[in-house]
Amino acid sequence: MHPDSSPVISTTRLGKNFGHTAALAGLDLSVLPGEVHGFLGPNGAGKSTTLRILLGLIRPTSGTARVFGIDPWAEPVRAHRDVAYVPGDVTLWPNLTGGEVIDLLTGLRGGADEDLRRRLIDEFDFDPRKKARTYSKGNRQKAALIAAFSRPARLYLLDEPSSGLDPVMDAVFRHQVRRVAADGATVLLSSHILAEVEQLCDRVTIIRSGAAVESGTLAELRHLTRTRFRITSSAKPQVLSTWRGIHNLRVDGTSIEFDADAADLGDVLDALATAGVTGITAAPPSLEELFMRHYGVQNTGRADHRSLDSQNSQAL
Amino acid sequence: MRPVLRLALLQARRDRGTLAAWILSIAGLGYAAATAVTTQFGEDHERAALISVAAASPAFLFLRGLPDGISLGAVTFFQGYSFTAVLAGLMSAFLVVRHTRKDEDQGRFELVGATQVTRVMPLYATLLLGTCANVVLALAVAAGFIGAGLPVQGSFLAGAGVGAVGLFFMAATALVAQVMPSARSANGTAAALVGGAYLIRGAGDALGTADPSLLHVTAAWPSLFSPIGWGQRIRPFTESDALPLVVIGAVAVILAAGAVMLRDSRDLGSSYIAANESGAERAGAGLASMLGLAWRLQRGSLAGWCFTSGALGAVAGGLGPVVRDALEGNPSVAELMSRIVPGDAGLVDLFTTAMLGIAGVLAAAAGIEAVLRLRAEEAEGRAELLLSVPASRFRWLGSTLAVAAITTTAVAVAAGASAAVVLTLAQAGGSNPGIVFAAALAHIPAALVFPALTVLVIALAPRWSSAAGWGALASALVLGQFGELLGLPVWLQDLSPFRHSSAMPVEAFNPEGALLMAAIAVVSAAAASRLIRERDVPA
Repeated sequence: MHPDSSPVISTTRLGKNFGHTAALAGLDLSVLPGEVHGFLGPNGAGKSTTLRILLGLIRPTSGTARVFGIDPWAEPVRAHRDVAYVPGDVTLWPNLTGGEVIDLLTGLRGGADEDLRRRLIDEFDFDPRKKARTYSKGNRQKAALIAAFSRPARLYLLDEPSSGLDPVMDAVFRHQVRRVAADGATVLLSSHILAEVEQLCDRVTIIRSGAAVESGTLAELRHLTRTRFRITSSAKPQVLSTWRGIHNLRVDGTSIEFDADAADLGDVLDALATAGVTGITAAPPSLEELFMRHYGVQNTGRADHRSLDSQNSQAL
Repeated sequence: MRPVLRLALLQARRDRGTLAAWILSIAGLGYAAATAVTTQFGEDHERAALISVAAASPAFLFLRGLPDGISLGAVTFFQGYSFTAVLAGLMSAFLVVRHTRKDEDQGRFELVGATQVTRVMPLYATLLLGTCANVVLALAVAAGFIGAGLPVQGSFLAGAGVGAVGLFFMAATALVAQVMPSARSANGTAAALVGGAYLIRGAGDALGTADPSLLHVTAAWPSLFSPIGWGQRIRPFTESDALPLVVIGAVAVILAAGAVMLRDSRDLGSSYIAANESGAERAGAGLASMLGLAWRLQRGSLAGWCFTSGALGAVAGGLGPVVRDALEGNPSVAELMSRIVPGDAGLVDLFTTAMLGIAGVLAAAAGIEAVLRLRAEEAEGRAELLLSVPASRFRWLGSTLAVAAITTTAVAVAAGASAAVVLTLAQAGGSNPGIVFAAALAHIPAALVFPALTVLVIALAPRWSSAAGWGALASALVLGQFGELLGLPVWLQDLSPFRHSSAMPVEAFNPEGALLMAAIAVVSAAAASRLIRERDVPA
């Protein structure tokens, strides 16, 4: 389906400083044609800064960014030709109606697909006759989403697009992402909502303090983490704690919970076979846990500190 | 009462730089005017000559105010009061909108309103801050006058006259902010009220009657409808009448009470003049381009500016016969004027020239306002959305710049056309309508310099663009109106683009000046179009 597999987006050692704070510190990001790529990170990690560089709105301090092989800072018009963008914080022209805003934005990109436009307005349950000043955050976001989706693009850049949508509208949004992905478009979806990324994305890049800390398919990332076991067993907890690769052991009577490293999973299963287990559930690691490992309890001190720094820089 | 005080302190904290700059500039202008009078017109006969020329010329009366004798204080008050009062009015109007309708627009009110305060407390806080600012302003102006050697009691009264006009517009704007649906419209309406007060006073003064000595002029009835007109009636250095202060204060209290009542009885975010909630479902064919968007965003504003300058032109034309009759009825004036301005229709032309000069300032202001929209688009995040499409920044900036140039031109055309038509209908004499129309157009090149310089600052240092644009216009105004009076060096006065406009029909058209100004405007705009590519679009 994609004979040309050179990446749609590629950044190498991308850096951006705002004054003395570094919003991006050597980000490597590669998004392949036709994939829905999750761009995951906490507030202030540098997600929006990255998208703004990819749009050529700001110039990287160091490193390179390419969209369709084009430098977006040098040639924004060419780089934007097949791009649809939804910003994280949508502000519209207060005295234009929603319908006018949609027509303006699609018109500047070459005109909307009328049929698609009508369907989207209907599915998003959007009133295009209201002036933009009367719209809530969710409605402003809908206007930007409808404008983005009602003209086919080869690349969709979506910055936390569902943050203002209710669950029903969120489902409509996910459906649209799947539709454009099925048509062969590439999507870069920045988010801190893990369920969304888990449901939609083929590959994920996790960003922290302006640098990618993990990148790969969900399956690949799961190899890097632990499986959670819940067992009912009369085995002595002291025995369990001697097994290799066991973490976070918790015992409550006969019900025992622990996490096992992927590398030691075979040994743990062997050991369980002889441990008098009467009940067992094993859950694959959720993205949630993946996420928590990068920002969670273990790494707090330093990680929190640094993400706060980059938050400040975003405010500039 | 404690929350009101806390809120007022918060607002003062946000405003400390802005208010300090306003107060120092206004008091500085007063000080400079007083110093200029005491040094440049030190002798009685010099001041007598100045005042009698002014009293004989409705154009002078319209722009400056009422001559009231030849004491140093009285001449200073005549020269400087109207301008300082207008500035005090603008300072107070913008202060109030900043902390009322703008906070409401941007959702900050909601945050404050969720704490233990009533609906009206933030408004009380703003009124408290505005009152304090105007008291400080009155004292600063008085200090400036005293520092320049004017009588102490008169200086305090004159300062109070400036502060009182500020208080009046603070209260009036508080009311406007309840009525208008957005900060932008509230600011526009309040500024129009200040401008209107100046023009109504101007009409009253121009129609005033000079006593035979030509040292005093009594204003006609229109100036009673202007707080600045009332302020002039204090006559601080001669009659020292405090009654006008009481009148202005009483009206201000009534207006402020009205504002508080309206605020107390309306919903957060609502307004008494409701904005249109809905409109067209589809964009017209024009709205599919950057230029179409720029035009759509500017057209309402453009109509407002053109209406204002058209009205100004009509006043210029309509007062023509009055000016002519004043001349015919007073031989001593006629004799004096014929010495200053050679030619028959000199007086009517002089008046028209002065009024069209104001139209040139309006045209510049309209252009600045139009290009500052770029900054608002960027600061409020809409530029990000707009620049994600396949269109260059050059087109984005160029479209707004083109619409700004159209706005500036249209404002001058409206003033010139209405002045020419009304002058012809009134058969006031003076230059022929074609010349009057051309006189308005002659201000366009200089007026275009202001939006062009503003857009250059937008390209280089966007945060400073608003201060730079309006600051440049204010500086040019001060240089133009007070440059000679203050005895400033010629090169400094020449920095004002308006100095290079031809003051037609009194002066002949000066093509070099017009070409120079047009060249500066074009070069600035071209540089801005180039430089806008070189910087980040701020988040």
